[in-house]
Amino acid sequence: MQKRELKQQWIFLNKMTKKEDQQKRKKPKKSEERIEKVIVFDASTLISLSMNGLYPELKKLREDFDGKFIITKDVWHEIIEKPLGIKKFELEALKAKALLEEGVLELPNSVGITQKQLSKKTNTLLKKANNIYKQKNKKSVEIIHKGEASAIALIRELEKKGISCLLAIDERTTRMLIEKPKELQNYLKRKLHTNLKLDKSNFKPFRNIKVIRSSELVYIAFKKDLVRLKDGERVLDALLYGVKFKGCAISSDEIKKIKKI
Amino acid sequence: MKEKNNILRILRETREAMQEENYSKVKTLSNQTINTASLTQDPDNILVAVIVYSLNKIFQNKDKKEFSKKSRFYKKTVKALDYSIEDIEKNNITKFRKDFEKIRKELTKLSGKLKSHIEDVFRKASINKASKLYEHGISMERTASLLGITMYELANYSGQRETPKGIPDSETINAKKRIKTAMDFFE
Repeated sequence: MQKRELKQQWIFLNKMTKKEDQQKRKKPKKSEERIEKVIVFDASTLISLSMNGLYPELKKLREDFDGKFIITKDVWHEIIEKPLGIKKFELEALKAKALLEEGVLELPNSVGITQKQLSKKTNTLLKKANNIYKQKNKKSVEIIHKGEASAIALIRELEKKGISCLLAIDERTTRMLIEKPKELQNYLKRKLHTNLKLDKSNFKPFRNIKVIRSSELVYIAFKKDLVRLKDGERVLDALLYGVKFKGCAISSDEIKKIKKI
Repeated sequence: MKEKNNILRILRETREAMQEENYSKVKTLSNQTINTASLTQDPDNILVAVIVYSLNKIFQNKDKKEFSKKSRFYKKTVKALDYSIEDIEKNNITKFRKDFEKIRKELTKLSGKLKSHIEDVFRKASINKASKLYEHGISMERTASLLGITMYELANYSGQRETPKGIPDSETINAKKRIKTAMDFFE
């Protein structure tokens, strides 16, 4: 697919959701009056689910959820635009594209957040995140990229609107940055054989974000009986290891603990 | 180019190891570039890591006549390495990039199955190095972007690998607590 076509599609999707949003504003149904909950998805979580063939389960989870599943344009680029040009991943990209078209995943403008607004916030956060760990020579280690930063930016914008959010992210670094920045600092120091200082002032915007992974999503799908496979507890084990082997940063110990819950 | 002296040392030692047909040493040398690549995220360091790793994978098949010491490709590769070393010594970094890229270009000139094999080696080398950067604490998306691969490739590859010791794979918060957070959100 040509890049131009994709851009047109992005514009089309944006217009479509904007139109739907306007219609909703004109005639609000009682249940749609206010969005209170949003799960913001990073590319890594969608990739783990997709590569395990779990999009139908994600769709069922969405139907069961009283809120929205949202991705940013940068995540859209990672899971759809970029892989569409690579034969090996074209199918994965098309499956993700279908989720957007079906409304399982939505874009930020479905909750009234513009791309311009989000880009500005993303750039600010990206700059801050990549200036948290400083070397002796004052240079910083750049640890995250646009997709991850944009997901966090979106959460901050949604919170301003009083919407509670969860970040679904499977990759390890961003999660550690949010939940255990000091541990990440020690880890980076060890791996990079260099002394690093933590600049706490730049860390502030990453505090108090609630994080889940595909492992928690498959657990919920299993407990709510939304998984197509029916083979007792074995299915849960298979789901958890399935996402682990497709990139979800979860340890075998954690899997054992989750299975015991 | 960052850490120029380190790159120069790696290339000189790679050249020697090629001469001795000591390809396991070539692999070790490629791993030595990862620290610098993670820290500086300098494209030259990343390029050296990928190409040197690929050389190990390609020329360790020395029994194949196309990759033996007498082959045209071996000679061209060594020549390109010599030019690249000379370029850095003369501080001509633009010429270094051209000369060093010639290694990849020459090797992909092969025809048929070998061509696709070589292309595959370079692609896999990029994925391998990306997973190393990810292990070093650089995020998945940033790593994929630096190495020019997709996140699907990286997630698939790093998911299959044994988690190396010392990586806090992840109980950054209690597993039970995280499940509860997720469950409550779906209530």
